[in-house]
Amino acid sequence: MSLILELAQGLQYSALGVALAESAYAFPLIEALHLIGLSVSVGLIFLIDLRLIGVFLKHVPVTDLLHQTRPLVLGGFAVVFVTGVLLFWSEAATVIVSPAFPVKFLFIAIAGLNALYFEFRIAKRPPVAENHAVLPASVRTAGLVSLASWSAVIVAGRLIPYLP
Amino acid sequence: MSTVEVLTSLQNSALGHAIAKSDHLVGAAAQVFHVLGFVVLLAAVVLINLRLSGVALQGQSIPNVAREPLRLVWLGLALAVITGILMFVSAPLLYYANPAFVTKIWLLGAAVLLQVTLYRRVVASERPSRLLARSAVLLSILLWFGVGVTGRAIGYI
Repeated sequence: MSLILELAQGLQYSALGVALAESAYAFPLIEALHLIGLSVSVGLIFLIDLRLIGVFLKHVPVTDLLHQTRPLVLGGFAVVFVTGVLLFWSEAATVIVSPAFPVKFLFIAIAGLNALYFEFRIAKRPPVAENHAVLPASVRTAGLVSLASWSAVIVAGRLIPYLP
Repeated sequence: MSTVEVLTSLQNSALGHAIAKSDHLVGAAAQVFHVLGFVVLLAAVVLINLRLSGVALQGQSIPNVAREPLRLVWLGLALAVITGILMFVSAPLLYYANPAFVTKIWLLGAAVLLQVTLYRRVVASERPSRLLARSAVLLSILLWFGVGVTGRAIGYI
């Protein structure tokens, strides 16, 4: 743990880390871009989850929603990732002591694995691939797991400055 | 009564005191639901805008695509406004003096005005004019992104 803390301190007190943290405009702007990237990527995933669960846009084929929102979902994630790295750089030693920080990454991992399983297993099978009217329970479950785990990511992420 | 007097009495009200003196996790919970509301709102606007721009869900008419996401826009807005009021009541004078907050409220007002005027007209139409549709998309994104950016800046100014 102390090694991780030392590395985090090295990062936070590096020239870039200090410059970011002390900048009146850069830091809040990066925070804002992190929020907007998140709203676009995770927000669209929420809407897709509601479709998979079967309570939203039922007249829209799942594959249309999945494929046509994909560029924005991935673009949003790129923004979240880059701004997330910069935010971590400027406050690494401060955030890693928050229990909310590892919890956030745990749920990102769960959400990511669920998305990969959906994409490469569930969505390849005929019901989703051929847009059947009635979708199997596995589709609904994948939507629920995604909705719950991404919600947990947002909750844990917003709690980082409040915990401990 | 001046605005400052109104805000002072709000700050000294029972509700204001209760929230300001509550555990810091109450404030954190308000922040969490404030963000979740905004995420839902913005994603729903983005989805409608994708259809208006002709990028996605072209197989369905604009009103058909927009109907359900519009409900999520208002649901997300309601969640963000209710939690926002709770945060505001705990320290109204502080927020009132914050330029990022004041800008955010003006942008929010403009965004809501757009939603109930031009945006509502465009998404109700099967074939809105290209110019109106593009204006609705551009203005809504600028205003809602602006609300997010200025909102996130409140804590740093």
